[in-house]
Amino acid sequence: MSEQMVDRSAVAAQQPSTTASPRKEAGYVHRHRADWRGWKFMWPFALVFVFVFVVPIVYAVWISFFQNRMIGGTSFVGLQNYSRLFVDAQFWSSVGRVALFTVVQVPIMLFLAGVMALALDSLKLHGTKFFRISTFLPYAVPAVVSTMIWGFVYGSKYGLVGSLNDVFGTNIDVLKPSVLLAAIGNINTWEFTGYNMLIFYSSLSTIPHALYEAASIDGASEWQTIRRIKIPELRGSLAITVIFSIIGSFQLFNEPSVLQNMVPGNAITTYYTPNMYAYNLSFAGGQSNYAAALAIVMAVMTMAIAYMVQLKSMKEQMK
Amino acid sequence: MRNSKKTLAAIVAAASLVGFAACGSSADSTDASTENATGQIVFWGWDSGNSMKDIIKQFEKANPGITVKFNNTGTANDTSTALSNAIAAGNGAPDVVMLEDPTVTQFAVTGGLVDLSKFGADSYKSDFAQGPWNKVQYDSKPYALPIDSGPEMFFYNKAVFDKAGVDAAQIKTWDDYYAAAKKIRATGSYITNVSGGANDYQPFTAQAWQAGAQPWKVNGDNITINMTKDAGMQKYIAFQQKLIDEDLIDTKTTNWSDDWNRELNDGTLASLTIGAWMPVNLISGAPDQAGNWRVAQLPQWKSGEEVSAEDGGSALSIVSQSKNQAAAYKFIDYLTHGDGAQIMADTGTFPSLKSILSSKEFVDPTTASNKKTNDYFGGQNVNKVLSEAAQRPVTAFQYLPYNPYAQNAYGDEIAKAYTKEISLEQAMQNYAKNLAEHGKQQGYTVTLK
Repeated sequence: MSEQMVDRSAVAAQQPSTTASPRKEAGYVHRHRADWRGWKFMWPFALVFVFVFVVPIVYAVWISFFQNRMIGGTSFVGLQNYSRLFVDAQFWSSVGRVALFTVVQVPIMLFLAGVMALALDSLKLHGTKFFRISTFLPYAVPAVVSTMIWGFVYGSKYGLVGSLNDVFGTNIDVLKPSVLLAAIGNINTWEFTGYNMLIFYSSLSTIPHALYEAASIDGASEWQTIRRIKIPELRGSLAITVIFSIIGSFQLFNEPSVLQNMVPGNAITTYYTPNMYAYNLSFAGGQSNYAAALAIVMAVMTMAIAYMVQLKSMKEQMK
Repeated sequence: MRNSKKTLAAIVAAASLVGFAACGSSADSTDASTENATGQIVFWGWDSGNSMKDIIKQFEKANPGITVKFNNTGTANDTSTALSNAIAAGNGAPDVVMLEDPTVTQFAVTGGLVDLSKFGADSYKSDFAQGPWNKVQYDSKPYALPIDSGPEMFFYNKAVFDKAGVDAAQIKTWDDYYAAAKKIRATGSYITNVSGGANDYQPFTAQAWQAGAQPWKVNGDNITINMTKDAGMQKYIAFQQKLIDEDLIDTKTTNWSDDWNRELNDGTLASLTIGAWMPVNLISGAPDQAGNWRVAQLPQWKSGEEVSAEDGGSALSIVSQSKNQAAAYKFIDYLTHGDGAQIMADTGTFPSLKSILSSKEFVDPTTASNKKTNDYFGGQNVNKVLSEAAQRPVTAFQYLPYNPYAQNAYGDEIAKAYTKEISLEQAMQNYAKNLAEHGKQQGYTVTLK
């Protein structure tokens, strides 16, 4: 869940509202002559934006209409890459896997993050600062490093799990194919709970103190304060964290890639997640055009889901 | 790199920028005389012996007028990825590139590399060991010169074998190996590990190759894939299936994983069949077993035979984009066939040049590097055994022109046989289908048997 990525998709998800407003405003400013002075301030950004954002996307769309073969070279194939993708069982199995991952892992993580944020905000904890920093710390550890650490913990032969097995005489293997996805989910939860907690916590801290005072004068219990004041306040940030988390889960790549060599039996295939599939198609399979088509389909899918969540949460907030 | 869209975008952005700058002129220097070659050449490769700087300095001294700019491009995979991007972009490729032997054909097929016979490299045929030489041929022409080689060897932990009451020196055939595997399993150890992952692809090809298998036949645009009906493949599959069924091999440990090193170090794994470049990895990966490991010739499929096979090995090629091919050839000639080859061998590269393999210094147990290795191997003269293996005859073996894909897909299909979900024969059939499908995507005419 790299932050830049998150920003970009958030922007993309909000686009409908931002493109709507200038048109409306145009009605008010049309008496002014066209003024290009603004562009003088804009051009450094616009230039960078076009080159690092617009050009690569347009180029990726462009190359997704071609096919490059070892025999026969590059040829225009129209939408053939897309039609092939829609019947590619490996692709859909990877999409199914990250969808399952999202449906299970995101609610658990956000629930934990919400509970932690409420606990911090209750002001009843000792060492709040330490708690806040230490839950956020995993987010600061590069995903590759934390996955390796978890890989060593999970090892059923020489890892911590192996040592526990020795002590208790059990034979638990948390990396076997049937529970592997849950093991990865655990790593992600560890990494990102603190990050989401911080978002919740910051929105809780914007609640004016007068509200709490009024509540306590009215004789509200701690539980009622949470239900009637704090949780409604969390709704707005919940939409953001859900969107961030969905995007992050659909882009699952680091954790399975690093674990690949630590997991027995090749349980992490080259098409374990859509991103891993695209990576392997492009760099081992020599099919960057097909990988580009895959990337675009995934981007559209992720944006559509993020947009749906956004719409739903906006409707709820209107209530 | 969670987001491949971003990665891809960055790459295409870079590629498009390069594209703008490209003037699209391809190399026109077909001058085959290297006599008066001068100028700068760019060289991509990896530097496992940490000796490239020194070798380049020596080369520049011996060839005034030529300067070499070395870019350490990381692993073999990174290098071939970078090269294919540069070739696709039509610009930005180096003059000389280091490649793993089986990837040479992939670039030769698509015209990315120069046929070295125009510089007379074909006359070197008898100077190089047969295994590595065969691997760099495409259409009967050399497209690279081998820089090292990796004859498949049988490394074993004598202490574990002794405990099981097996004299490993008497293991001459795979049947002997199977009998030993049973005795070793009875002590709690495994004779070796095979998990069917992508890292087992090289040992698989080597062992099947040794059995005389011809799973892939490439003839121009035509590929024949025969993974299950070929006699050699059947021999290999039946043998592996026996080991899997009787729980004689550790199927849960992947080569090059952390667990692998630990199991080599604590004696859980009693032996390895792997390339001759392994000693240095054993010394660092299994330090507790110093003095216990030995090396021997690969067990044979038929008793009395002396057939070898290759596992790994790399080579140097000239890229078609190069505008200074004469100087580039001078450099690769120096590194693989000239004085540079000796320096490489002295710094730990396993040579492919017969003159070095059979030289006195190579097997001299008193040199510092040989002494260190021999001490680890309980005083055995390691290089003597390895050099004997390197000079054994090998049959012809063809890799697919899309070898990196074949290696990647291997794990996806074959691991299921080692987790006992399906039989190895079934897994090989699925693998063959997968490879055939990819071949068709790449424009080949594929016959699947």
